[in-house]
Amino acid sequence: MRITILNGNPDIKNIKFEDYLTKLTDLLTANDHTVKVLQIREMDVRYCIGCFGCWIKTPGECSNAADDSRLVRREYINSDLVIFASPIIMGFTSALLKKAHDKLLPLLLPYLEVDQWEAHHVARYDKYPLIGLLLEKNNDTDEEDVEIISGIYVRDAINFKTSFCFTKLTTDPVEEVANEINSI
Amino acid sequence: MKLTVFNGSPRGKNSNTEIFLEHFLNGFLIKEGNVYEYAYLNRAKGQDRFLELFKEAENVLLAFPLYCDAMPAMVKTFIESLEPLCGRKGNPNIGFIVQNGFPEAIHNRYVARYLNKLSSRLGCKCMGTIIKGGGEGARTMPDRYKKSFDILRQLGQIYGETGQFDLELVHKLAGPYKFSKPVVLLFKPLLKTKPFKIGWDRMLKENGAFERRFDRPYL
Repeated sequence: MRITILNGNPDIKNIKFEDYLTKLTDLLTANDHTVKVLQIREMDVRYCIGCFGCWIKTPGECSNAADDSRLVRREYINSDLVIFASPIIMGFTSALLKKAHDKLLPLLLPYLEVDQWEAHHVARYDKYPLIGLLLEKNNDTDEEDVEIISGIYVRDAINFKTSFCFTKLTTDPVEEVANEINSI
Repeated sequence: MKLTVFNGSPRGKNSNTEIFLEHFLNGFLIKEGNVYEYAYLNRAKGQDRFLELFKEAENVLLAFPLYCDAMPAMVKTFIESLEPLCGRKGNPNIGFIVQNGFPEAIHNRYVARYLNKLSSRLGCKCMGTIIKGGGEGARTMPDRYKKSFDILRQLGQIYGETGQFDLELVHKLAGPYKFSKPVVLLFKPLLKTKPFKIGWDRMLKENGAFERRFDRPYL
């Protein structure tokens, strides 16, 4: 599989998280996956400002900023699986990761359709990657937090024409996470 | 009563959120002595001031549009800046307004759950979340929103008197939570017809981008 890991860790000093991702990447590569890790904190990704230029001015492309979100979208749409990876900060994935996430909107069309008895946007592409979550617990993280975050990403999967595969924690053995991905 | 309002729309002054807030605040101001302070989270200048404003506030209202099923990234940045205040004594009461562009309110339910948890994490008393589905046209087609604006004004008025969100009005404003299956079956083929695309297609044509509307630049 072609796998993209969106690394939303904003803190370069959080070595534990980086090490976990490195180990996971190594294991997945050893299992013949092609893995690309996007270090969002080192990229210039601007906020989505909701201008809808990607729908009505330059269809499929952000018209507001020629930023590195182009790279995020290119990797995302050409992957089989995208892992949203982030430490939990104030009960949710990082603002850094959300910045990149909001910039995926150009991958959809503005028009609406009915999916699972609800209104959602129409697909721009034929195929969208599966998505998964990799979270690092914070001192005050409880099960409800993980459930709330997962719930939001399950919803996001409907909007991005795909299935939500898993929520994994960096307290899970990295082999277990790799095995789960291998079984997809 | 003193209220501190954070407009969390990345569109700032030109947002639908701004309009919903305007009607809520018109109601809020009916009671004599009520005052509010207003901050735009999309302004790069004054980011440090947001934390101070929150610290000093007695009552906070945070309003934003739904982005990818959650808060826009710039609202998350603001929330992260509040981390040092978690559990602090004297944190303000907090309420939320979340609007989304889809016709149904169900899309907002999940972030509302998050906001509830966020309030308890901060140690703020949570007044609840006012949800509005189908909010995208408030700025461009205000005539269609007269009823919603009126409910928001009433919500603001009651909030200004009691500090509470009136649950019946919250329910009324949200619009359909989910459409019933017969309605969806009726609606489904309609979405593919011209009237439902006309707004987007008109804007695409104005920008000379209509022919490119299905472009896939990343293949």
